[in-house]
Amino acid sequence: MSKWYQLQGAENDVVISTKVSIARNVKGYNFTVKLNSEEKYEIADKIDEILDKKLPGKFVSTPMNEVGRDLQISLAECNLVSPEFISFAEGRTLVTTEDESLSIMVCEEDHLKIQSLLPGLELEKAYELSNTLDTLLDEDLEFAFDKKLGYLTQCPTNIGTAMRASVTLQLPALSMRGQIPRLASMVSKLGLVLTGAYGEADNPVGSLFQLSNQVTLGISEEAAIENLKSISLSIVDQERITRNELMNSLKFQDILWRSIGTLKNARVISFGEFMEALAIAKVGISNGEIKVPCERMNELIFTMQPATLNVRFGQSLDRQVRDVKRAEAIRKIFE
Amino acid sequence: MLCQNCGNAEATTHIKRIINGEATEVHLCYNCAEHLGYANMFSGFGFNISNMLQNFFPEFTRALPSLDTSERCPTCGTSFEEVVRTGMMGCADCYSVFYEKLKPSLSRIHGRATHVGKSGAYQIESSASPKLEDTVIRLKTELDEAVKVQNFELAAKLRDEIKALEGGAQNV
Ligand SMILES: [Zn+2]
Ligand SMILES: [Zn+2]
Repeated sequence: MSKWYQLQGAENDVVISTKVSIARNVKGYNFTVKLNSEEKYEIADKIDEILDKKLPGKFVSTPMNEVGRDLQISLAECNLVSPEFISFAEGRTLVTTEDESLSIMVCEEDHLKIQSLLPGLELEKAYELSNTLDTLLDEDLEFAFDKKLGYLTQCPTNIGTAMRASVTLQLPALSMRGQIPRLASMVSKLGLVLTGAYGEADNPVGSLFQLSNQVTLGISEEAAIENLKSISLSIVDQERITRNELMNSLKFQDILWRSIGTLKNARVISFGEFMEALAIAKVGISNGEIKVPCERMNELIFTMQPATLNVRFGQSLDRQVRDVKRAEAIRKIFE
Repeated sequence: MLCQNCGNAEATTHIKRIINGEATEVHLCYNCAEHLGYANMFSGFGFNISNMLQNFFPEFTRALPSLDTSERCPTCGTSFEEVVRTGMMGCADCYSVFYEKLKPSLSRIHGRATHVGKSGAYQIESSASPKLEDTVIRLKTELDEAVKVQNFELAAKLRDEIKALEGGAQNV
């Protein structure tokens, strides 16, 4: 069974993935911070029961304390759960489809975080997925709601639609040109947040950034999605233009071909070095310098992460062994 | 706990991250969090920040002594002091119990907005004027469209209509 990130998505030369999360709390239960483990599992059981009845066989439910550490971290590396979710496994359950495109984190911060993950820029489709699952669950579970404040959440910053939509963008050209601070301040005026996806917030690994909506109260889900989509598309355009400009420079061409050389030839490679080379190689993709399809390249952002490699090889690999295995897997794609 | 970046100020922002196959937590003061680009992030939703009181409820760090913080939510037993300290509500009823006290923080985070958008299956029946809300949502979508195609004349007209409807709704 393939995972969502192995499929093709729109604008995937720049946009890696789209995620739409909706937070919900079941009426009649205190918020997560005031629940004991038993009550938390009770909520998970209710969800399982509804899904078994309405969508039999579609979801798998896994208590996080029955999952090994490598798999826990791998789930976080692949964006399926938050680092917070695995920081304390007791009482927490992951409910997910086999391809991991639709899932529920049970008792993370709120009782339910319904989330959809799709490759590329697919905001409407991702919202549709999460929204449909929310509606289906709402028919049996009554969710905490107030007419003025909207859906009520444990943290007051999320009330209203309680929806966060985010797209992960790979912006090597704009990063190289020092355009990220300008972009970040521009999008913040439009009610969005731009921040690093992996590593440091201001200098992320592989020029991967997350763009997401900040406002949840006073804006409808559809309007928030549309707003995020149009700004994403404008950033995609700017990144493509800047990539083309870079390709005119001999100095950059040299950097590009050295990076492609690294991907094709390295025998030992860390995740960080791989991500830097991949980000630069992306600049050459629009010019046809690289024949590897974007979805094959994007997939590696998830599968080449340390814990995810451990899971793939069924053991906690020594760092050096892992770097060798990584180099082998990358060579296979780029040869 | 001191800030891991500057080592001078108290760390108030705690960020959980996965780095090199391991889960780590970064502790930063408010200034460093802002400087490193973490200040605009939210708790939860994949960002994993737990902000302490200065970040979420700055008005209460000053006003706390004069407020009655011992009041408790009858449903979950959470005191207002606890809400301010943790930045978290104990249950859905906390919102109505502490509503007046929370108002300044809520409007600082969200402005004066009220909810538009989806409401649950149970709310549609109890909603007093769903038709008006639907109209406003539709108009807002049209407004976004108009702005996108730079039809500013239409946008201005739609904006006035929305204002009139929302004004009317608040007076009801
Ligand atoms: Zn500091
Ligand atoms: Zn309460």
